[in-house]
Amino acid sequence: MRPAGLNPRLYAFLLDWVVRLAVIYGVAVVAEFLGGLGTAVWLILIFLLEWFYPVAFELLPSGATPGKRVFGLKVVMDNGLPVTVAASVTRNLLRFADFLPFMYGFAIVTMLTRRDCKRLGDVAAATLVVHDSRATGRPPLQDVAPLPPVRPLTPSTQAALVALAVRAPRLTAERLDELAAMAAAVSNDAGRSGRDVTLRVLGVGHWILGRRP
Amino acid sequence: MTPLAFEQRYQEEWQELERLLDTLPTPAWRRAAADRPVPAVRLAALYRRACGHLALARARSYPADLIDRLDRLTARGHQIIYHRHEVGLRPLARIFTRDFPSAVRANAGYVAVAAAVFAVPALVLGLLVYWRSDLILSVVGSDQTARFEEMYSASAASIGRSRDARTDWMMFGFYIRNNIGISFQCFAAGLFFGLGSIFFLAFNGAFGGALAGYLTERGLAGTFWPFVATHSSFEVTAIVLSGAAGLKIGHALIAPRRATRRQALVRATRDSAPIIYGITAMLVVAAAIEAFWSSSRWVWPSVKFVAAAGCWTAVILYFVRQGRYRETGRAD
Repeated sequence: MRPAGLNPRLYAFLLDWVVRLAVIYGVAVVAEFLGGLGTAVWLILIFLLEWFYPVAFELLPSGATPGKRVFGLKVVMDNGLPVTVAASVTRNLLRFADFLPFMYGFAIVTMLTRRDCKRLGDVAAATLVVHDSRATGRPPLQDVAPLPPVRPLTPSTQAALVALAVRAPRLTAERLDELAAMAAAVSNDAGRSGRDVTLRVLGVGHWILGRRP
Repeated sequence: MTPLAFEQRYQEEWQELERLLDTLPTPAWRRAAADRPVPAVRLAALYRRACGHLALARARSYPADLIDRLDRLTARGHQIIYHRHEVGLRPLARIFTRDFPSAVRANAGYVAVAAAVFAVPALVLGLLVYWRSDLILSVVGSDQTARFEEMYSASAASIGRSRDARTDWMMFGFYIRNNIGISFQCFAAGLFFGLGSIFFLAFNGAFGGALAGYLTERGLAGTFWPFVATHSSFEVTAIVLSGAAGLKIGHALIAPRRATRRQALVRATRDSAPIIYGITAMLVVAAAIEAFWSSSRWVWPSVKFVAAAGCWTAVILYFVRQGRYRETGRAD
């Protein structure tokens, strides 16, 4: 789980804000015809949207307001569990403190200074806004002849070669050649580059991945 | 072991876990309603193994997509296995029969301080303004003073509201939005080492006190006091309690005792959650009383005072007595 930074959270907030504004204006048009009772419903609705709009959506299985869902975010507890009622309520009431001194000043400062990018309400309620990662899947490996490395490789070199072999189908041929040239020593091609070198470096990557001729 | 061999070897276990998680509906209540036995032992075993595989895959720097797949798989399992089921009617009822009053008792010290921070400015300003009524202008402007006088004048159609407010219902909506908002602010501002709560408590106390002193001095006591007596039992108590919750989280930041500031803050916030639920309900009740009962002309002031006495007694008894038996396990 990766904590979400200021930018996606800001976009999500703005989108939610527009949604709320649209609902408030929509209901205002209808409430106009209902007199006092309509005004009451409208005022209560404003109150509910002000304080409890995020709570209602965060407690659904998706754990996200519509804005957060559009930008692929969700709210979870620090320990990765779904957000609890108490945590959702408190993190959203403390939004008032985050809003001060103006335009979410404290929220922006705390989010920018913390590694986990929490605002004050998140710190107090022990919640976290994370990217809701979707399945990435692995593109099918390229058809490359596996090649044993010419010398023993350190674990980090092995990891880099594996990563390169897996990412290869997503890279342009030129970029792939550039990257492979950096690792050319593993197939005794140090200093050289080109399509053949790339195939040999990828071949070593495939060998480490576990493919055998 | 190479990444491909690793994947080959444990593939089936991961797929089985994925299938198991797929058969479990995500919301807990729907799972309970389905009433299907969950192969819990198998699920737990597969989950534990998948966690081990994730740790291995990370330590051995296996391909990112493999780590990502295991990460999502274990996160899903974690959410389902460790999820606390807390939503329902019984937990909701328990908040009011036990959690709320017992949280208030447990934090009696903060409640006392908050009450003092609210009451002292109220009394001081009330007496000052009663003694010299032009002092009210140091709290509110002259046009607002005139509007207050009009709201509580003996000729007003309903007490305590301006002329443009058309109906009781409209005022109900207004009180909900305004009063609960003020109360939430009292709580949230406590995050600034309690100073914000002190400010909002003192400010609201001073404002109310000045208003009461001014209207009493202008001879409007006959409409003002019967108006506020009943609903203030819920409203003032709720604002003081929200301030007390704010002071509690502020105090946790100043003096975290044997915990880090963050741990102390998290604990204080979690412990004040029942108070927040409770005051929200109290303020809805207060808004209803204020809109439909307090403002009515047809109820005699004496009846309102009797009702007020009843409400104050009920509120105080509720916080002193309610849920004591369940707290200690015996009657006392």
